[in-house]
Amino acid sequence: MYDWRADVRARLAGAGLHPQDEAEIVEEVAQHLEAQFAELAMTIGAEGARERLLAQLRDRGFDDAALGRKRRSNVEPRIWVRGSFLRDLRYGARSLRRSPGLVITGVLALALGVGLTTVMFSIIYGLLIKGLPFQAPERIAMIYRTDPTGRGQETLVPLADFVRYRADQHSFSSFGGYRQGRANVFGGDRPERLNVAELTDGAFEATGVRPLLGRTFTASDNETGAPLTAVISYATWRDRFALDSLVLGRVLRVNGRPHAIIGVMPEGYAFPGWQQLWVAAQLDTRGLRPGEGPAFTIVARLRPGVNFPQANAELSGMARRLAAEPTDSAALRDLAQPFVRATIPARVYALLYAMLGAVFLVLLIACANVANLLLDRAVSRTRDVGIRVALGASRLAVVRQALVESGILALAAAGVGTLLAQAGVMSFNRAIVALQADRPFWMDIRLHIPVLFFVLLVAVVASVVSGLLPALHAARLDINSILKDESHGASSFRAGNLSRAIVVFELALSSAMLLAAGFMTKSIARLGTLEPRFATDSVFTARVSQLSTDTIRQRRFLAAMEHDLTALPSVGAVYLGHGLPGGGWMGDRVAIEGHVYARELDYPMMRWLAVNPGFFTVFRVGILRGRAIRQSDRRGTQPVAVVSDEFVRQYFPGVEPIGQRIRLGVSSKDWLTIVGVIPTLYAAGIPSANGSHFPPEVLTSFWQGTDASTATVALRGPTAVANATSVRNVVAALDADAAVFEAARMSDVLNQPSWPLRVFGTLFVIFGVASLILAAIGLYAVMAFSVSRRLREMGIRLALGATGTAVVRMICVQGLKQIALGMALGLFLGTGLVRLLRMLLFEVQPSDPRVFGSVIVVLSASAFIACLLPAIRATRVDPLVALRAE
Amino acid sequence: MLTDELKKGSAEFLILSLLEHEPRHGYELQKLIESRSKGVLTFHVATLYPLLYRMEERGWIVGRWVEKSGERRRRFYRLTAAGRATLQTQRASWREFVTAINRVSGGMRYV
Repeated sequence: MYDWRADVRARLAGAGLHPQDEAEIVEEVAQHLEAQFAELAMTIGAEGARERLLAQLRDRGFDDAALGRKRRSNVEPRIWVRGSFLRDLRYGARSLRRSPGLVITGVLALALGVGLTTVMFSIIYGLLIKGLPFQAPERIAMIYRTDPTGRGQETLVPLADFVRYRADQHSFSSFGGYRQGRANVFGGDRPERLNVAELTDGAFEATGVRPLLGRTFTASDNETGAPLTAVISYATWRDRFALDSLVLGRVLRVNGRPHAIIGVMPEGYAFPGWQQLWVAAQLDTRGLRPGEGPAFTIVARLRPGVNFPQANAELSGMARRLAAEPTDSAALRDLAQPFVRATIPARVYALLYAMLGAVFLVLLIACANVANLLLDRAVSRTRDVGIRVALGASRLAVVRQALVESGILALAAAGVGTLLAQAGVMSFNRAIVALQADRPFWMDIRLHIPVLFFVLLVAVVASVVSGLLPALHAARLDINSILKDESHGASSFRAGNLSRAIVVFELALSSAMLLAAGFMTKSIARLGTLEPRFATDSVFTARVSQLSTDTIRQRRFLAAMEHDLTALPSVGAVYLGHGLPGGGWMGDRVAIEGHVYARELDYPMMRWLAVNPGFFTVFRVGILRGRAIRQSDRRGTQPVAVVSDEFVRQYFPGVEPIGQRIRLGVSSKDWLTIVGVIPTLYAAGIPSANGSHFPPEVLTSFWQGTDASTATVALRGPTAVANATSVRNVVAALDADAAVFEAARMSDVLNQPSWPLRVFGTLFVIFGVASLILAAIGLYAVMAFSVSRRLREMGIRLALGATGTAVVRMICVQGLKQIALGMALGLFLGTGLVRLLRMLLFEVQPSDPRVFGSVIVVLSASAFIACLLPAIRATRVDPLVALRAE
Repeated sequence: MLTDELKKGSAEFLILSLLEHEPRHGYELQKLIESRSKGVLTFHVATLYPLLYRMEERGWIVGRWVEKSGERRRRFYRLTAAGRATLQTQRASWREFVTAINRVSGGMRYV
């Protein structure tokens, strides 16, 4: 007997009939066709009869049947009855209460997704979106000079152009400039090195913040020869003047020059970057031509009604007029951008948004899990839904009911997720507390109100994403067959396909995440086991800055300081140099004697540091060949250099390096003779071309080098002696105006540059592990579900003599197909993700096959176990029980 | 052979007539029209059911699922009061129409 129902249903698809009407038409017409078929088949044969009837069914007249019925269903709407939503809620809550396992798993999975997404979003919101903590922060602009060809770096605007802009512009209501730096400030018990900004009038006004006491700078403060003035921060007022209300008019010596305090800014004000003190810039514009003068960063506030494109159009116009006059800045372009956008490097934006994208993947995996759970439920409730539809529930009502259930889960998850996010935000803030002035001062990461709105939005999206597929599945069911209990197998087969597709998707997302997490783990591991090849324990460091510009006095001071520090009890050795190994290497090009370099780009790269002999004892750096820098390598003797073995490997392969000569920098004329070779030391920061943090290095003699007012010292000794106080005492005894700053233990200094990797990398590992767990649970649930649906089949197989191994193999092969497909997609996706995260990678290439390999192994192992458990359960089926089931 | 136009106009009348004395289901209606017209009038699913649903919509007939023991349930259509009234009117106007045609064409005079 041929069943015509499918043909009729297919013919009616798209007519948008009410399910009850559709079911009735299908049954009536199918009966008719069946009877006619039986009759026709006897005369013209089954094949011909079927053809003819199908042709009749295709007749356009049949569409009228649909139209006639549709009108009827419109007459009595059965959707959105008043109170029906509340009823859905009650019904949903009641039926969820009956499956606590589903509720707990679903809520926890979604909460994990929501929590991670929220942490990431609060970071982005607090750093990039919220903006400066001033009134209307989005109207505060930073104006800087860019090279439109993209080759050059962003630079600041020269004074001459700044002054012209300020006089001609109409887009901004206030327009000021600043320069940031550090200065030795004396105005209390001891000199200190403070973050100072040199400001023109208009800069404070652009932020819209009024001083707490006194006034800010006016145009007359910026004139040359005007009395020197300073504005102090609240913190400076508190720490140096004990909140003395008579502070105005007191004098601070900034780099030796007396400045009168004219104002105090309110608490928390540190614009533009952790400033503790602001001094009025003295602008001497006489004789300056366009493009000349000291460079300033411009900060300005947009006039009401003016937007950034308009302001930029005006700037370009002014720049063109400037360029008409003789200048070499014609190729450059000045650009106004919102302050935060201009301050945070584009790669940080890319990194943070890539991470937000990544946590959305975790959320999607969680949603896919919940979708699968709900789908399982939808299938086991097929009959229930069928009855509801037969009793007059519309498809929309069925979909809505299912969505209400996923909505309840998502809301509960939003609550738990917010708590998780709060914990996450707190630990993130703890992790970055050590950064101090290395992070923007406006960065304020909390669960702000907009972040909570974001949580709600995410919850709504999650409930729709996880609820829609199961809901549509429920609504698409054919009620007649369900009520007759005929198509049970068919509908769960369709659901099975759907959930298998969901699992492939889940596996793909989680392999992508795991891949990223794998690279982060490897980077963190590399960082943790990093052997810098110099000792950091018991080493204390600080920087010392003198005011004197007299090089003879500078040298005398440094030599005396070296001597006095060495004389401290239990201090074995003292390092004096330009910077610290690790983060303090300077990068430059190098010329090797005997080589000819046509262009600047042809000179090879290296890192260098000028050191005194104490370097080798303080940092315990051994000599591989030749000798170290000696105290006798002073001015007037042969200039010497000690190079790293990496330098030898790259630039003197197979040649004896001792005695060779090199030149540092492109323009230098002084040849240095190589006298020794050391092991290559760790250099933090941007890796060299081959991704290594152990680049070619050169040490020169500090006492043969150029003069500098700032030097770095390091002492090896017990903390009781090697500390900030002893360095300050020694320095103060030699020069009352010299400031000691950045005093820290060497081990902390070394860790500092790697904080983004430690913080964001750890976050990524959390994401990856979370996604792996979620995907494994998802796969397990689907396999277990499909096995339980096929108990009867397993029973038959076993009864007919299939061995347990055969059954396990059959189920696992099915699972392995999904695993392989998902993983292939995911590794492809993950390769892209890792490239976005390249900035965080440490000593790992984004194509490292070992990471790919381990991700594949971890993922296939966990996925395989997730398949194996249900498969083994299937073999325990008692054929008798299985056959009797259903 | 009857043209489609003529068939359409007469179809509702034929169905109403066939349902006058007893309820019938769709297949039965099709078979009756076919056999009583000796194959001159034929309907198939795509013409019959749209017609039935339209008539039901107008309130001339009513379909109801009836289950007889040992048989599958079937949808039977019966006339409503409105349908009966329509049948009377249509029967009268058909009679008039046929008479008029016969008078003009000089056909058989048995009506």
